[in-house]
Amino acid sequence: MKDVIVYVEHRGGQTRKVTFEAATQARALADALGGKAHAIVLGSGARRLAEQLAAYPLDVVHVSEDTDVDAFLLDPVVDYVSAVASETGPALIVIPNTLSGRDVAGRLSARLSAGLAADVTEFHVSDGAVACVAPKMGGALITTCTIVPADYGVATVRPNAFEAQAGGPGAQIQAIEKPSSRQYGAAIERDVEEASGELALEEAPVVIAGGRGLGGPEPFDTMLKPLARALGGAVGASRAAADAGWVPYSLQIGQTGKTVTPNLYIGVGISGAIQHKVGMRSAGTIVAINKDASAAIGEFSDLLVVGDAFAIVPELTKLLESANASS
Amino acid sequence: LVPDPNAEKRLDPQTKHLVRTGVETVLNPYDEYALEAALQLRERVPGSTVTVFSMGPEALKETLRKALAMGADEAVFLSDPALAGSDVWATSLAMSRALAKTGFDLLIVGGLTDDGSTGAVPGSLAEHLQIPCVTNARKVEIADNRLSVERETDTGYQSVNVALPALLTTALTFGEPRYASLKGIMGAKKKTIAALTVNDLALTEPVGTDGSKVAIESFAPPPVRGRGRVVEASDGASGATAIFEFLREKRLA
Ligand SMILES: Cc1cc2nc3c(=O)[nH]c(=O)nc-3n(C[C@H](O)[C@H](O)[C@H](O)COP(=O)(O)OP(=O)(O)OC[C@H]3O[C@@H](n4cnc5c(N)ncnc54)[C@H](O)[C@@H]3O)c2cc1C
Ligand SMILES: Nc1ncnc2c1ncn2[C@@H]1O[C@H](COP(=O)(O)O)[C@@H](O)[C@H]1O
Repeated sequence: MKDVIVYVEHRGGQTRKVTFEAATQARALADALGGKAHAIVLGSGARRLAEQLAAYPLDVVHVSEDTDVDAFLLDPVVDYVSAVASETGPALIVIPNTLSGRDVAGRLSARLSAGLAADVTEFHVSDGAVACVAPKMGGALITTCTIVPADYGVATVRPNAFEAQAGGPGAQIQAIEKPSSRQYGAAIERDVEEASGELALEEAPVVIAGGRGLGGPEPFDTMLKPLARALGGAVGASRAAADAGWVPYSLQIGQTGKTVTPNLYIGVGISGAIQHKVGMRSAGTIVAINKDASAAIGEFSDLLVVGDAFAIVPELTKLLESANASS
Repeated sequence: LVPDPNAEKRLDPQTKHLVRTGVETVLNPYDEYALEAALQLRERVPGSTVTVFSMGPEALKETLRKALAMGADEAVFLSDPALAGSDVWATSLAMSRALAKTGFDLLIVGGLTDDGSTGAVPGSLAEHLQIPCVTNARKVEIADNRLSVERETDTGYQSVNVALPALLTTALTFGEPRYASLKGIMGAKKKTIAALTVNDLALTEPVGTDGSKVAIESFAPPPVRGRGRVVEASDGASGATAIFEFLREKRLA
């Protein structure tokens, strides 16, 4: 492993934030490994996104607007990334740990006979070996593993674990030739964005989560969304709220939902069951609003405010909005 | 086919492998959804059968009986001390060989394992088997040897059409797994679980710890999170102010 290659995820014409985090980290990794930092942007709109990425401290941004990438699931992406990898030679490939990123990482690691470290929150390089720190088992354990030195390694990185920082002389943008003329198997017939324009929950720096205590779907729209907006965050939920049909399952946080790692999590009307906790306990700061002083969430919150969410949240939103307006 | 049930796990401080003794053996909940999908598809394709497959230490073999009780026709279990310590790469290589030997048209795998592990096994398995990989299915139709899948994405959903053979993973929104019937439980007791070992796989590369491309160096508990500040809010304004000031202090607002 010498160079570092970042696979760029984008949805709805926007690069996902975790990609910028990975691109920034790639510079430090490449310097430590003595190689170059690359990124790969694929699919429709890739050129424009590559120009944005070039502002990050990368050496080369590889692009292709091949329509196969949008028309077929997974395989074209893996073909492109492995084509770039064989061009660069020995490399660590860094992929966002998202639903689609995991598929790319799995397939790619098998193709390149590369060791795979998942959900990495810290890298340490010494003598060409890459050690990866990653929480396991819902954050119950923090492991450090080394990718056994070989030509290639693959790591998926956890959103919000690394800082994103533009800078550097500007990367060179380079077109990738179509690596394969094969007919791909899994055709995407329809691609629907349900949360377009909104920040993906896993990547949001602030998460406002609502639970059964909200009593219905409306408070998610009328109370939590404005609060999330005031803090620049996204809305999530407990399983109880998703099961009740108040919000789609895509907002569920926890063991059987998403893992979120924001700087700030605010739980509103959520009791803090263990299955919920494993999905949010890595948040930087945890605040809970609950009318029950003995709710379990208090045991792992930095601040528990005992009181009625319906009274507190609108007031808090007002305070934040006026602070935003005056700054 | 449903690989790898995973029970509650601990790492052994000496070997750095997961401790699997003394843990209750259950099907990985995600795998139950995969099995449910398989059983539903069997009803729609006359003459099809459902085989459950798993790899793990011998002690876990009997977990497959629960899958048989739920309605699977056959079970295959790959077990060999030489597989201990396998990482994603070695695990999926070994499983892919065993699955190729067993034969299948459609391979259904549970989503993320319950311990929140890598999530990369399905992709890796599909690559070793050289078949398409469609993850997070919440709805599946089957006709003329093709699957129509509605799958969840990070930001919405997609409809995907794919020819068999293929690998599919199920999302939890697929639908609740069925319970085993009494008749199923009785029937499962009589079935044999076919056993495979590494010798059956004609592997040319090492597996287990030696074949792994990632080595666990150390592990530690996460920093403890204790009970923090508690503020009783007599009304909305005082609760809001408490949070606002706290966020200011933490430079979060
Ligand atoms: C296998 C399995 C997997 C699971 N996976 C998940 C998962 O992924 N995610 C998940 O979240 N759960 C999961 N659960 C469910 C979990 O066990 C809890 O049932 C669930 O998290 C409870 O949701 P809740 O906190 O919203 O509801 P409750 O536990 O009912 O809590 C509601 C809280 O709201 C408070 N409240 C009520 N009114 C107000 C008010 N006006 N103002 C302020 N506070 C108020 C109450 O005091 C209470 O603490 C899973 C369970 C199982 C068995
Ligand atoms: N005796 C065994 N036979 C087959 N697979 C095993 C055995 N021991 C562990 N495994 C599998 O190897 C992988 C690594 O497990 P571990 O050895 O616990 O780190 C897991 O997928 C286990 O299910």
